[in-house]
Amino acid sequence: MSECIVITSGKGGVGKTTSTANLGVALALMGKKVVVVDADIGLRNLDLILGLENRIVYDLVNVIEGECRMKQALIKDKRCDNLFLLPAAQTRDKNAVSPEGMKKLVSQLKEEFDYVLLDCPAGIEQGFKNSIAGADRALIVTTPEVSAIRDADRIIGLVEAAELPEPKLIINRFRPKLVARGDMMNKEDILEILAIPLIGLVPDHEDIIVTSNRGAPAAFDEKSTVGEAYRRIARRINGEADVPFVALEEPDSVWSVLKRWMGLTPTREVA
Amino acid sequence: MMAGFLDRFFGTPKSAGSKEDAKSRLKLVLMHDQVDLTPAQMEAMKTELLAVVARYADVDREHVELRLERVDNRISVVSTVPVRRVTGRLAHAG
Repeated sequence: MSECIVITSGKGGVGKTTSTANLGVALALMGKKVVVVDADIGLRNLDLILGLENRIVYDLVNVIEGECRMKQALIKDKRCDNLFLLPAAQTRDKNAVSPEGMKKLVSQLKEEFDYVLLDCPAGIEQGFKNSIAGADRALIVTTPEVSAIRDADRIIGLVEAAELPEPKLIINRFRPKLVARGDMMNKEDILEILAIPLIGLVPDHEDIIVTSNRGAPAAFDEKSTVGEAYRRIARRINGEADVPFVALEEPDSVWSVLKRWMGLTPTREVA
Repeated sequence: MMAGFLDRFFGTPKSAGSKEDAKSRLKLVLMHDQVDLTPAQMEAMKTELLAVVARYADVDREHVELRLERVDNRISVVSTVPVRRVTGRLAHAG
Protein backbone atom coordinates (compact mmCIF):
# COMPACT_ATOMS: atom_id res chain seq x y z
CA MET A 1 0.00 0.00 0.00
CA SER A 2 1.35 3.34 -0.90
CA GLU A 3 0.83 6.58 0.96
CA CYS A 4 1.39 10.32 0.48
CA ILE A 5 2.37 12.22 3.62
CA VAL A 6 2.65 16.01 3.71
CA ILE A 7 5.14 17.59 6.13
CA THR A 8 3.82 21.00 7.08
CA SER A 9 4.01 23.64 9.82
CA GLY A 10 2.57 27.03 8.96
CA LYS A 11 5.56 28.88 10.30
CA GLY A 12 8.76 28.88 8.29
CA GLY A 13 12.12 27.81 9.62
CA VAL A 14 10.94 25.14 12.05
CA GLY A 15 12.49 22.24 10.13
CA LYS A 16 10.02 21.01 7.50
CA THR A 17 12.65 20.48 4.82
CA THR A 18 15.17 18.91 7.21
CA SER A 19 12.44 16.62 8.53
CA THR A 20 11.31 15.62 5.03
CA ALA A 21 14.89 14.84 3.97
CA ASN A 22 15.65 12.82 7.10
CA LEU A 23 12.39 10.89 7.03
CA GLY A 24 12.91 10.13 3.35
CA VAL A 25 16.37 8.77 4.10
CA ALA A 26 15.20 6.82 7.17
CA LEU A 27 12.27 5.20 5.36
CA ALA A 28 14.47 4.33 2.38
CA LEU A 29 17.06 2.75 4.71
CA MET A 30 14.23 0.57 6.02
CA GLY A 31 13.90 -0.78 2.49
CA LYS A 32 10.89 1.29 1.44
CA LYS A 33 10.76 2.86 -1.99
CA VAL A 34 10.52 6.58 -1.26
CA VAL A 35 10.19 9.80 -3.23
CA VAL A 36 10.57 13.17 -1.50
CA VAL A 37 8.81 15.97 -3.33
CA ASP A 38 9.75 19.62 -2.92
CA ALA A 39 6.42 21.44 -3.13
CA ASP A 40 7.96 24.81 -2.30
CA ILE A 41 7.81 26.17 -5.86
CA GLY A 42 10.15 29.13 -6.31
CA LEU A 43 12.05 28.48 -3.08
CA ARG A 44 13.71 25.17 -3.85
CA ASN A 45 15.74 23.76 -0.94
CA LEU A 46 15.14 20.06 -0.40
CA ASP A 47 17.73 19.30 -3.12
CA LEU A 48 20.36 21.23 -1.18
CA ILE A 49 19.64 19.52 2.14
CA LEU A 50 19.90 16.15 0.39
CA GLY A 51 23.07 17.11 -1.48
CA LEU A 52 21.44 16.56 -4.88
CA GLU A 53 21.44 20.16 -6.12
CA ASN A 54 23.91 19.54 -8.94
CA ARG A 55 21.86 16.87 -10.60
CA ILE A 56 18.63 18.70 -11.37
CA VAL A 57 17.59 18.83 -15.00
CA TYR A 58 13.78 18.87 -14.86
CA ASP A 59 11.42 19.75 -12.03
CA LEU A 60 7.91 19.23 -10.71
CA VAL A 61 6.39 21.98 -12.84
CA ASN A 62 7.94 20.49 -16.00
CA VAL A 63 6.26 17.18 -15.16
CA ILE A 64 2.88 18.75 -14.43
CA GLU A 65 2.99 20.78 -17.62
CA GLY A 66 3.98 17.72 -19.66
CA GLU A 67 7.37 19.10 -20.70
CA CYS A 68 9.15 15.94 -19.58
CA ARG A 69 8.35 12.46 -18.40
CA MET A 70 8.25 11.70 -14.67
CA LYS A 71 11.30 9.44 -14.96
CA GLN A 72 13.39 12.27 -16.42
CA ALA A 73 12.66 14.57 -13.49
CA LEU A 74 13.22 12.07 -10.67
CA ILE A 75 16.72 12.16 -9.17
CA LYS A 76 18.01 8.95 -7.69
CA ASP A 77 20.05 9.26 -4.49
CA LYS A 78 23.33 7.44 -5.01
CA ARG A 79 23.78 6.68 -1.30
CA CYS A 80 20.54 4.80 -1.10
CA ASP A 81 19.07 2.84 -3.99
CA ASN A 82 15.41 3.37 -3.24
CA LEU A 83 15.37 7.10 -2.46
CA PHE A 84 14.35 9.63 -5.12
CA LEU A 85 13.84 13.40 -5.22
CA LEU A 86 11.37 15.35 -7.31
CA PRO A 87 12.70 18.91 -7.12
CA ALA A 88 10.68 22.13 -7.12
CA ALA A 89 10.90 24.65 -9.92
CA GLN A 90 13.11 27.53 -8.88
CA THR A 91 12.08 30.17 -11.41
CA ARG A 92 8.32 29.79 -11.21
CA ASP A 93 5.83 30.80 -8.55
CA LYS A 94 3.33 28.84 -6.55
CA ASN A 95 0.49 29.55 -8.95
CA ALA A 96 2.23 27.42 -11.59
CA VAL A 97 0.61 24.42 -9.87
CA SER A 98 -3.05 23.76 -9.07
CA PRO A 99 -4.48 21.36 -6.46
CA GLU A 100 -5.73 19.16 -9.32
CA GLY A 101 -2.29 19.11 -10.94
CA MET A 102 -0.75 18.10 -7.64
CA LYS A 103 -3.32 15.36 -7.06
CA LYS A 104 -2.60 13.90 -10.47
CA LEU A 105 1.16 14.05 -9.88
CA VAL A 106 0.88 12.34 -6.50
CA SER A 107 -1.33 9.54 -7.77
CA GLN A 108 1.18 8.92 -10.55
CA LEU A 109 3.99 8.75 -7.95
CA LYS A 110 1.99 6.46 -5.69
CA GLU A 111 1.90 3.84 -8.43
CA GLU A 112 5.63 3.50 -8.16
CA PHE A 113 6.58 4.34 -4.57
CA ASP A 114 5.68 3.06 -1.09
CA TYR A 115 5.95 6.56 0.37
CA VAL A 116 5.53 9.96 -1.24
CA LEU A 117 6.73 12.66 1.20
CA LEU A 118 5.67 16.22 0.34
CA ASP A 119 7.75 19.08 1.71
CA CYS A 120 5.10 21.78 2.09
CA PRO A 121 5.95 25.49 1.79
CA ALA A 122 5.44 27.76 4.80
CA GLY A 123 2.22 29.74 4.96
CA ILE A 124 -1.41 28.87 4.34
CA GLU A 125 -1.77 30.07 0.75
CA GLN A 126 -1.70 28.34 -2.62
CA GLY A 127 1.41 26.23 -1.99
CA PHE A 128 -0.08 24.85 1.20
CA LYS A 129 -3.43 24.15 -0.46
CA ASN A 130 -1.69 22.33 -3.32
CA SER A 131 0.31 20.15 -0.94
CA ILE A 132 -2.70 19.27 1.19
CA ALA A 133 -4.73 18.36 -1.90
CA GLY A 134 -2.44 15.49 -2.79
CA ALA A 135 -1.84 14.10 0.70
CA ASP A 136 -3.37 11.12 2.51
CA ARG A 137 -2.23 12.39 5.89
CA ALA A 138 -0.17 15.16 7.46
CA LEU A 139 2.71 15.50 9.88
CA ILE A 140 2.94 18.88 11.60
CA VAL A 141 6.39 20.14 12.56
CA THR A 142 6.70 22.63 15.40
CA THR A 143 9.38 23.88 17.75
CA PRO A 144 8.73 24.56 21.45
CA GLU A 145 8.19 28.28 20.81
CA VAL A 146 5.00 30.30 21.13
CA SER A 147 4.95 31.50 17.51
CA ALA A 148 5.54 28.05 16.02
CA ILE A 149 2.89 26.46 18.25
CA ARG A 150 0.31 29.11 17.43
CA ASP A 151 0.85 28.53 13.72
CA ALA A 152 0.77 24.76 14.21
CA ASP A 153 -2.65 25.14 15.86
CA ARG A 154 -3.91 27.04 12.83
CA ILE A 155 -2.54 24.42 10.44
CA ILE A 156 -4.12 21.59 12.44
CA GLY A 157 -7.48 23.32 11.95
CA LEU A 158 -6.90 23.65 8.20
CA VAL A 159 -5.78 20.03 7.85
CA GLU A 160 -8.91 18.88 9.64
CA ALA A 161 -11.07 21.19 7.52
CA ALA A 162 -9.54 19.52 4.43
CA GLU A 163 -10.88 16.24 5.81
CA LEU A 164 -7.51 14.57 6.18
CA PRO A 165 -7.18 12.19 9.16
CA GLU A 166 -5.98 13.62 12.47
CA PRO A 167 -2.44 14.92 11.88
CA LYS A 168 0.53 13.87 14.02
CA LEU A 169 3.07 16.15 15.62
CA ILE A 170 6.86 16.34 15.37
CA ILE A 171 8.42 18.54 18.05
CA ASN A 172 11.73 19.75 16.66
CA ARG A 173 14.68 21.59 18.29
CA PHE A 174 13.84 20.26 21.71
CA ARG A 175 16.36 21.37 24.35
CA PRO A 176 16.30 19.21 27.50
CA LYS A 177 18.52 21.67 29.35
CA LEU A 178 16.04 24.52 28.91
CA VAL A 179 13.13 22.22 29.73
CA ALA A 180 14.86 21.12 32.94
CA ARG A 181 15.14 24.68 34.17
CA GLY A 182 11.57 25.53 33.19
CA ASP A 183 12.40 27.82 30.31
CA MET A 184 11.03 25.63 27.54
CA MET A 185 7.70 23.88 27.27
CA ASN A 186 8.04 20.11 27.56
CA LYS A 187 6.24 17.66 25.33
CA GLU A 188 3.29 17.34 27.72
CA ASP A 189 2.81 21.13 27.74
CA ILE A 190 2.80 21.25 23.95
CA LEU A 191 0.49 18.25 23.57
CA GLU A 192 -1.92 19.76 26.09
CA ILE A 193 -2.19 22.84 23.88
CA LEU A 194 -2.23 21.23 20.44
CA ALA A 195 -4.16 18.08 21.38
CA ILE A 196 -2.91 15.81 18.57
CA PRO A 197 -0.77 12.65 18.93
CA LEU A 198 3.01 12.97 19.06
CA ILE A 199 4.99 11.05 16.46
CA GLY A 200 8.46 12.47 17.05
CA LEU A 201 10.67 14.41 19.41
CA VAL A 202 13.84 15.70 17.79
CA PRO A 203 16.54 17.26 19.95
CA ASP A 204 18.24 20.48 18.96
CA HIS A 205 21.74 19.53 17.91
CA GLU A 206 24.68 20.93 15.96
CA ASP A 207 24.50 17.81 13.75
CA ILE A 208 21.72 19.52 11.82
CA ILE A 209 23.94 22.45 10.85
CA VAL A 210 26.86 20.19 9.94
CA THR A 211 24.76 17.72 7.97
CA SER A 212 22.98 20.43 6.00
CA ASN A 213 26.35 22.06 5.25
CA ARG A 214 27.40 18.77 3.73
CA GLY A 215 24.14 17.76 2.11
CA ALA A 216 24.13 14.45 3.99
CA PRO A 217 21.07 14.13 6.27
CA ALA A 218 21.71 12.97 9.85
CA ALA A 219 19.53 9.90 9.30
CA PHE A 220 22.44 8.40 7.31
CA ASP A 221 24.67 8.65 10.39
CA GLU A 222 24.16 5.74 12.76
CA LYS A 223 25.77 7.58 15.66
CA SER A 224 23.76 10.79 15.38
CA THR A 225 21.10 11.37 18.07
CA VAL A 226 19.11 13.50 15.64
CA GLY A 227 19.42 10.80 13.01
CA GLU A 228 18.17 8.26 15.53
CA ALA A 229 15.19 10.48 16.39
CA TYR A 230 14.24 10.56 12.70
CA ARG A 231 14.81 6.84 12.23
CA ARG A 232 12.36 6.22 15.07
CA ILE A 233 9.77 8.54 13.51
CA ALA A 234 10.16 6.56 10.29
CA ARG A 235 9.43 3.33 12.18
CA ARG A 236 6.30 4.90 13.68
CA ILE A 237 5.21 6.14 10.23
CA ASN A 238 5.60 2.58 9.01
CA GLY A 239 3.18 1.41 11.68
CA GLU A 240 5.54 0.08 14.33
CA ALA A 241 3.97 0.49 17.78
CA ASP A 242 5.66 1.48 21.05
CA VAL A 243 8.88 2.93 19.67
CA PRO A 244 10.30 4.89 22.63
CA PHE A 245 11.13 8.60 22.24
CA VAL A 246 14.80 9.35 21.91
CA ALA A 247 15.34 12.65 23.62
CA LEU A 248 14.73 11.83 27.25
CA GLU A 249 15.29 8.18 27.62
CA GLU A 250 19.04 7.67 27.47
CA PRO A 251 20.36 6.64 30.87
CA ASP A 252 23.13 8.72 32.45
CA SER A 253 26.36 7.03 33.25
CA VAL A 254 27.42 7.31 36.90
CA TRP A 255 30.35 9.49 35.86
CA SER A 256 28.39 11.92 33.75
CA VAL A 257 25.90 12.39 36.58
CA LEU A 258 28.68 12.89 39.15
CA LYS A 259 30.52 15.34 36.93
CA ARG A 260 27.37 17.33 36.37
CA TRP A 261 26.67 17.44 40.11
CA MET A 262 30.16 18.70 40.77
CA GLY A 263 29.62 21.39 38.16
CA LEU A 264 32.41 20.06 35.96
CA THR A 265 30.18 19.90 32.94
CA PRO A 266 27.35 22.43 32.90
CA THR A 267 24.54 20.14 31.72
CA ARG A 268 24.01 17.95 28.76
CA GLU A 269 23.08 19.45 25.44
CA VAL A 270 21.12 16.42 24.42
CA ALA A 271 19.52 14.12 26.91
CA MET B 1 29.60 26.79 42.90
CA MET B 2 28.88 25.26 46.28
CA ALA B 3 25.33 26.55 46.22
CA GLY B 4 24.90 25.12 42.73
CA PHE B 5 26.30 21.83 43.94
CA LEU B 6 23.91 21.70 46.90
CA ASP B 7 20.99 22.66 44.68
CA ARG B 8 21.81 19.81 42.40
CA PHE B 9 22.40 17.41 45.23
CA PHE B 10 19.17 18.14 47.04
CA GLY B 11 17.22 18.92 43.93
CA THR B 12 16.00 22.27 45.27
CA PRO B 13 12.99 23.18 43.17
CA LYS B 14 13.67 26.17 40.97
CA SER B 15 11.13 28.91 40.63
CA ALA B 16 8.82 28.44 37.67
CA GLY B 17 10.67 29.48 34.52
CA SER B 18 9.40 31.36 31.50
CA LYS B 19 7.64 28.32 30.09
CA GLU B 20 4.62 29.03 32.29
CA ASP B 21 4.35 32.47 30.67
CA ALA B 22 4.63 30.86 27.26
CA LYS B 23 1.92 28.36 28.06
CA SER B 24 -0.60 30.77 29.53
CA ARG B 25 -0.06 33.36 26.78
CA LEU B 26 -0.45 30.69 24.12
CA LYS B 27 -3.64 29.31 25.63
CA LEU B 28 -5.14 32.77 25.71
CA VAL B 29 -4.16 33.71 22.19
CA LEU B 30 -5.36 30.39 20.73
CA MET B 31 -8.69 30.81 22.46
CA HIS B 32 -9.08 34.26 20.95
CA ASP B 33 -7.97 32.96 17.53
CA GLN B 34 -10.66 30.32 17.78
CA VAL B 35 -13.47 32.57 18.99
CA ASP B 36 -12.55 35.22 16.46
CA LEU B 37 -14.06 38.20 18.29
CA THR B 38 -12.32 41.50 17.62
CA PRO B 39 -11.23 43.66 20.56
CA ALA B 40 -13.95 46.11 19.47
CA GLN B 41 -16.59 43.36 19.68
CA MET B 42 -15.32 42.32 23.12
CA GLU B 43 -15.58 45.95 24.22
CA ALA B 44 -19.11 46.25 22.83
CA MET B 45 -20.14 43.09 24.68
CA LYS B 46 -18.75 44.53 27.88
CA THR B 47 -20.62 47.81 27.44
CA GLU B 48 -23.94 46.08 26.75
CA LEU B 49 -23.52 43.69 29.65
CA LEU B 50 -22.68 46.58 31.92
CA ALA B 51 -25.81 48.40 30.85
CA VAL B 52 -27.96 45.41 31.86
CA VAL B 53 -26.32 44.97 35.26
CA ALA B 54 -26.46 48.71 35.90
CA ARG B 55 -30.27 48.54 35.70
CA TYR B 56 -30.24 46.45 38.87
CA ALA B 57 -27.15 47.51 40.80
CA ASP B 58 -24.78 50.40 41.36
CA VAL B 59 -21.81 49.21 39.32
CA ASP B 60 -18.18 50.11 39.89
CA ARG B 61 -17.53 50.85 36.21
CA GLU B 62 -13.79 51.31 36.64
CA HIS B 63 -13.21 47.70 37.63
CA VAL B 64 -15.40 45.72 35.28
CA GLU B 65 -13.66 42.80 33.58
CA LEU B 66 -14.72 40.66 30.65
CA ARG B 67 -12.53 37.92 29.28
CA LEU B 68 -12.50 34.51 27.65
CA GLU B 69 -11.52 31.52 29.73
CA ARG B 70 -11.25 27.84 29.07
CA VAL B 71 -13.23 25.98 31.69
CA ASP B 72 -13.41 22.18 31.45
CA ASN B 73 -12.36 22.28 27.80
CA ARG B 74 -15.10 24.78 26.96
CA ILE B 75 -14.56 28.37 26.11
CA SER B 76 -16.51 30.64 28.46
CA VAL B 77 -17.10 34.34 28.62
CA VAL B 78 -16.24 35.30 32.18
CA SER B 79 -17.13 38.68 33.57
CA THR B 80 -16.55 40.30 36.93
CA VAL B 81 -18.80 43.27 37.64
CA PRO B 82 -18.13 44.74 41.08
CA VAL B 83 -21.14 46.51 42.57
CA ARG B 84 -21.07 49.19 45.25
CA ARG B 85 -24.51 48.28 46.51
CA VAL B 86 -27.64 46.63 45.28
CA THR B 87 -30.42 49.05 46.06
CA GLY B 88 -33.72 47.48 47.04
CA ARG B 89 -35.64 49.72 44.75
CA LEU B 90 -33.39 48.97 41.75
CA ALA B 91 -33.17 45.29 42.58
CA HIS B 92 -36.92 44.87 42.33
CA ALA B 93 -37.23 46.95 39.21
CA GLY B 94 -37.02 43.93 36.91
